[in-house]
Amino acid sequence: MTTLSRRSVLRGAGGLATAGTLALPHIANAAATTASVWFTQGFIPSEDTALRKMVADYEKQSGNKIDLSIVPYAPLRQKEVSAVTSGVVPDVMEDADFSFTPLNAWEDRLLDVSDVIETQKSQFSEIVLVGRRLFNKVTKQRSYYGVPMKVASVTFHIWKSLVEKAGYKVSDIPNTWDAYIDFFLPMQAKLRAKGMRHLYAMGLEVSTLGVDPLNTFYSYMIAYGGKGLVTPDGQLHTGDPQVKEAVIKTLTRFSKLYKGGHVPPGCVNWNDADNNNSFHAKQIINDFNGSMSIELAVIDNKEEYADNITHGLPNGNDGKPLPAQIGEFGAVIPKGAKNVALGKEFLKYAIQPTVLNEYLKGGLGRWAIPYPSVIKSDPFWLHSGDPHRLAYITETMVGPGIPLYEAYSPAAAQVDAEHVFQVAFSDIINNGMTPEAAANKAFKRAEVIFAQYPLPQS
Amino acid sequence: MEAVQVFDGGRPAVGHLVRLRALRGALRGSEYAWALAFLVPYIAVFFAFVIYPVSYGLWMGSKPSLYATLMNDPTYWTSIVNTALYLGIAVNLKMVCALLLSGFFMRPGWWIKALLMIYVLPWAIPSMPAFISIHWFFNGDYGFLNDLLYDLFGINGPAWLDSRWLALGTMITSYIWKWMPFWTVILLAGRMAIPSEIHEAAKIDGATGVRGFIHITFPMLANLYFVCTLLSTIFTVGDFNTAYFVTGGGPAFSTYVLATLGIRDAFDLSQPRLGVAAVITALPVVIPLVYLLMRKLKTAQVQL
Repeated sequence: MTTLSRRSVLRGAGGLATAGTLALPHIANAAATTASVWFTQGFIPSEDTALRKMVADYEKQSGNKIDLSIVPYAPLRQKEVSAVTSGVVPDVMEDADFSFTPLNAWEDRLLDVSDVIETQKSQFSEIVLVGRRLFNKVTKQRSYYGVPMKVASVTFHIWKSLVEKAGYKVSDIPNTWDAYIDFFLPMQAKLRAKGMRHLYAMGLEVSTLGVDPLNTFYSYMIAYGGKGLVTPDGQLHTGDPQVKEAVIKTLTRFSKLYKGGHVPPGCVNWNDADNNNSFHAKQIINDFNGSMSIELAVIDNKEEYADNITHGLPNGNDGKPLPAQIGEFGAVIPKGAKNVALGKEFLKYAIQPTVLNEYLKGGLGRWAIPYPSVIKSDPFWLHSGDPHRLAYITETMVGPGIPLYEAYSPAAAQVDAEHVFQVAFSDIINNGMTPEAAANKAFKRAEVIFAQYPLPQS
Repeated sequence: MEAVQVFDGGRPAVGHLVRLRALRGALRGSEYAWALAFLVPYIAVFFAFVIYPVSYGLWMGSKPSLYATLMNDPTYWTSIVNTALYLGIAVNLKMVCALLLSGFFMRPGWWIKALLMIYVLPWAIPSMPAFISIHWFFNGDYGFLNDLLYDLFGINGPAWLDSRWLALGTMITSYIWKWMPFWTVILLAGRMAIPSEIHEAAKIDGATGVRGFIHITFPMLANLYFVCTLLSTIFTVGDFNTAYFVTGGGPAFSTYVLATLGIRDAFDLSQPRLGVAAVITALPVVIPLVYLLMRKLKTAQVQL
């Protein structure tokens, strides 16, 4: 028989108190019935309707409650930065741009969500998984810090009627990069001669605002052979002559398009919506823009919807297919979230193939589902007869692709947040630099930033 | 009683009571509790909305490495230059024009008063919609101004917002348009406070027109003008709306000022501490201005 001494009682009580203190939050989390969730507002109303339906279905099935906030893109970004800084965070939030998750994973402000990913890991495309496997400077290793839910790439958008009005045929559009761009340039003068004073050949996102200028720059750079600017090991390769040449070619191309008057001068100040607006105002014949936001904005106008053409990336100048950069958005769970278990349970529900598919189809396919098997099996994605969706989904989920550079290194996210290469373009236009000098300046800045985010060399 | 007598280093209890009375403002009994009850909410509000946020801000910007990061950011230096230009040109031009226009609005006549009503409208309307409208007004591609220039004169106007200096000029013009009416009204009130007898006496001595302004009006308004300029400078250091909504900081961050840089660093770069540090670097300018302002506000009489 064990005798209870004063010391053993005290030790036991202390142990119980410690265990209770540690266990209490988890018990409370498991029992929680309400989770706060922040999501980005859709570009079209049906995206929000589909999101609300998914949440309502979850609530009905689980008996839990989701306190859902749908916030526009830019304010959501500010709200999220404030939340992770102050520690007053929701249980789940959708990342509002491509830099937020890599930078905050690095800073150890997000929870590892590998267990959520694990439930559908075999379904996700490889690119998407790479995109969410991010480095944490505290644990000194990569893990999954975001649950991908939607993916997108950048395609060309063309007004067929303007091409024909200028006296050209859509079927004559070449399929190699430079020839493709050059095809549209002479149309400007012909249409202006017909009284379209504000008409420009191309839309070109070259400002220092938002994500579109990043997509535009990198797509051109990759087309010119600069894919290796950042490699999957997270290293920067500004010393690679091929990368350097590609960056200089891109800057040269941009400055020639700008100085030649082929793009609206105001594009140096465009935000992510301005190229869409310019295209819809028929100010530009051809635009380069991510997701299907351009087409879906006019989906109720049958005539305009049919007059739009969506083109995937043409081949490179060497005739070989170009990889598209695939960006993904999804949910993160910030550290300090009160109802982690419930947040994860909701996410596990949301990424079930049938649930996620219904949600994204409800949003009319503006974002692609990151599950190749669903893309193949559901005719909505590739066999609905919609030419826009076919071109967009083919590029995003079927054709060759690579992750965004942000996936490889948080430094790339910082380079993009600072719009380092867009500043290089401005240095040419506004400060009279040569493309080579501007590229060198941008490389130096990128090197300084990369030095602040050291990754293991393995 | 003995214990009380040795209180405070052995000084007599009478001295202690006198000091306590003085501390309590000669209040007695329940008066003290009431005074405290009225005071506590103000102290609490002061702590909650002034002491705490300011201390939190200073704590956020307390790491020296933040300032090293700022110094290495080329956009920071651009913002410093722009802020200096913005304060130097926009505030002073606005105040000089306001001073001159306040003289115009002193003139008699109903139509002058009607004009004054229209003139203060830019100040009366909310900043954000006003500056967003200005942004579209100056849009080089399809803004109202360039369309007007084309329709009236057949010329293509410049891209007002697409190069640094034009955009900075547009920003300064918009700022003056928005805030000049307010300071005009303040200086108008100052002019109206000058006794008419002084002007009449000066007229007899031959000080009319510009001489009257130089020898009578301006000396009497000088203190007010100086205080207004200081106040306006302090307001303008923190002016976010004009830069953000008129130029958006573009092209390529070239029209950022410290206030907009702070927001960009905090939210676009996900570095709130860096954003706070950027704003803190304005303190070496703001604190002397506030000190000067406080000293000036102590001046109780007209400085002739």
